[in-house]
Amino acid sequence: MKLETEIWLFVAVVGLSMLCWLLWLIKMKPEKSATATAIGIGLTFSIGLLFTILIPSFNKNWSPNTADQEARYHAVDKVENGVLWRQWPDGTQFQATDSGHPNGNITMDAPDGTIVGYTPLEQYGRHVYQREGCMYCHTQQVRPLYGDEMRFSVGASLALPADEREYVFDQPHFLGTRRIGPDLSREGGKYSDDWHYSHFFSPRQMVPGSIMPAFTWLFDKDADGNPIPSKDVRALVAYVQTLGYGRLVYEPATYPTTGGWGPWLRPADQQLYQKKGTEQVERAVQPIHGHDQLSNTNKVLSPSN
Amino acid sequence: MAVDQIMKIQPSVQPERLNHEDVAAKWALWASVGYLCMFGTLGVITAIKFVIPDFFSNYDWLSWPRIRPAHVQGMIFGWLLPMYMAQFYYVVPRLTGTKLYSEKLGIATTIVWSIGIAWATFFLLDPANSLNPWLMTKGKEYEDYDTVSNIFLFVGWVMLLWNLGNTFARRKYKQMYAALWYIMGCLLWTAFVYLIGNWPSQLLPQYAFRGLNDANINWFYGHSIVGLIATPGGLGLAYYFIPKAANAPLYSHKLSLIGFWTLGAIYIWNGAHHMIYGPIPYWLQTVATIFSFLLFIPVFSVITNFFGTMRGEWHQLRNNVVLKFLMAGTVFYLLTCIQGPLQALRAMSAVVHFTDYTIGHAHMALFGTFTLYAFAGAYYSVPRIYRKPLYSEGMAEWHFWLSFLGFILFSTALWIGGFMQGIEWTDPSIPFIQTVRDVEPYWHARAIGGMLMLTGMYLFAFNLYKTATVPAPKATEGQLNVADGSEAVATA
Repeated sequence: MKLETEIWLFVAVVGLSMLCWLLWLIKMKPEKSATATAIGIGLTFSIGLLFTILIPSFNKNWSPNTADQEARYHAVDKVENGVLWRQWPDGTQFQATDSGHPNGNITMDAPDGTIVGYTPLEQYGRHVYQREGCMYCHTQQVRPLYGDEMRFSVGASLALPADEREYVFDQPHFLGTRRIGPDLSREGGKYSDDWHYSHFFSPRQMVPGSIMPAFTWLFDKDADGNPIPSKDVRALVAYVQTLGYGRLVYEPATYPTTGGWGPWLRPADQQLYQKKGTEQVERAVQPIHGHDQLSNTNKVLSPSN
Repeated sequence: MAVDQIMKIQPSVQPERLNHEDVAAKWALWASVGYLCMFGTLGVITAIKFVIPDFFSNYDWLSWPRIRPAHVQGMIFGWLLPMYMAQFYYVVPRLTGTKLYSEKLGIATTIVWSIGIAWATFFLLDPANSLNPWLMTKGKEYEDYDTVSNIFLFVGWVMLLWNLGNTFARRKYKQMYAALWYIMGCLLWTAFVYLIGNWPSQLLPQYAFRGLNDANINWFYGHSIVGLIATPGGLGLAYYFIPKAANAPLYSHKLSLIGFWTLGAIYIWNGAHHMIYGPIPYWLQTVATIFSFLLFIPVFSVITNFFGTMRGEWHQLRNNVVLKFLMAGTVFYLLTCIQGPLQALRAMSAVVHFTDYTIGHAHMALFGTFTLYAFAGAYYSVPRIYRKPLYSEGMAEWHFWLSFLGFILFSTALWIGGFMQGIEWTDPSIPFIQTVRDVEPYWHARAIGGMLMLTGMYLFAFNLYKTATVPAPKATEGQLNVADGSEAVATA
């Protein structure tokens, strides 16, 4: 059954029940008033749920599609001479830095712009972000407004506004509602890892006047009593560094503008999607690992550097 | 006047004089009052940390991002809903003309609920470095509680639903008064909303509800917490307590009918207005804006009804502290419901979204309106539950003025500061940290306002505690009327 048919069927069923309920209400005896109220409460609820949750959830841009996941399986992570590389099926490869984040404007995503999921370290970092409640003070959505695009720009480029496809691998979402601190969705690569470690340890030394809490409990101590980043904060920084242009897919020109319930598949995705039938899908490498060298780089850190 | 005369209901059967036990109401009442003091204190610490960021900074479990959800969630699920439960246990048997289905089940409900709240708060404050997704905060606003405590709270709510549903089924008055619809709406909608908000993203197959689906459900749930849980519950109580406290019949039953059904049909559609200019489809944002404006229909029918009920009775505000709380709550309800739709406009949202303005708006609904209604309900029902006069009328007056003036200071500071910061954000040449520093004076005012409100809460808890424990002769209904300030009516 086509999606449209299903939805209209649902609308017809709920609408008819609503009509029957209204007719019944008119002829009803007072004894039945509690039942009628309960039925009406359920009906009004179902209608709202249908239009605001169920119908939008069919939007293909809201969840990873087959193309995204295939691309993830085809990526090869390898370590050569202590340097992490990620290679794509077409031969493109690039170097990642020691915490596995995109260096500068290099993207961790597939060359055709397909978004890939997080590495285990980055996913761990997301959980630390969640546990420490970063999303209560930092949004992750740049609005299509002059103020936002300018304020969160990188270098001379405007920050591109938030795109639906940026969030497909996010569970939970970190869109946020309050900017006590700045938006973070274009933050990756703006500062070095060391800057982030120092800032987490002592925010007011790095940014005078900041009201961010000092997350001292995310740091271990070395033999001399100097704070060194723990696994938690390393993962956190690795995650924060992914929040940049690397995650951005914004090709408005390539979106089909008409047809169906919306412009869901981009041409690049459609090609990969069509290829699926003929191509044997196999996982070239377990995409997970390659960041193990992290544990060997215990840089000594003090708040002053 | 008896219940049926005030509510203008013709009872089909004249019920016998009932002797309500109210044990379940007492349990829920004390749980909620305890949580009010606890989570109110956390709220003030949250406010202090804005101006002194290093306040208690050595304790990770007292860090700002951990106590903030503990305060927000605790005030809604620890204070407001148990207080609603206590009031429902009081109101529903009296409006249905029958005894509560089971007092013991009511006690068990409070115990299950309190275990859930304590569990959730513990794991919010101290996740013990655990990254177990079942125990860790869900990381979504209003859905912060972990999955294990969700189960406790849902089971507790179903127990309440069973208890009150059976009371409804045994009612002696066949026709249901408006307050009962709202209470039934609160009971059912809370169960639906809680299940949908806390379930899919956790338990459905991987990839099913991630990213923007997760966000959309989050805001459907977040807005429904206010619109379909706090609002029908609070309005239901106001529909009972305003006519009772003013000793006047309800202005219009037709209006209450329109208000209830439009509330139910419209509120569900509003969640997406939390993501105006966000990454969600344009049509969904527009739908949310339109339905936010449609909310004027239920709001104005409720406001007209409450103010209409007070026609010729306004003089009672002079010395009736219950009515003071109720009318202040109604005025704040009007204000918050004018503010809300305006905030959903794209032009307004572009400036005030992500600022403190929203925080002020949320507090006006949950503190300004529904918490004040709950205070009023407690001051009205506790003397009747214990059959003793209120311990101190003056202390209740102090509580009212501390809450009222403290809240005016609190919210005005947030609105002005938030709006100012929003305007500053439109100018990219102002560094972000400068916009933060510029709001600081308003954060001082907010912290002071919060402390005033908290002082009022402590007075409230002390007053109720003394009412329950100080030995006093059992009072008659006439004496209790003196206790809630309506002696003019009682002696007339």
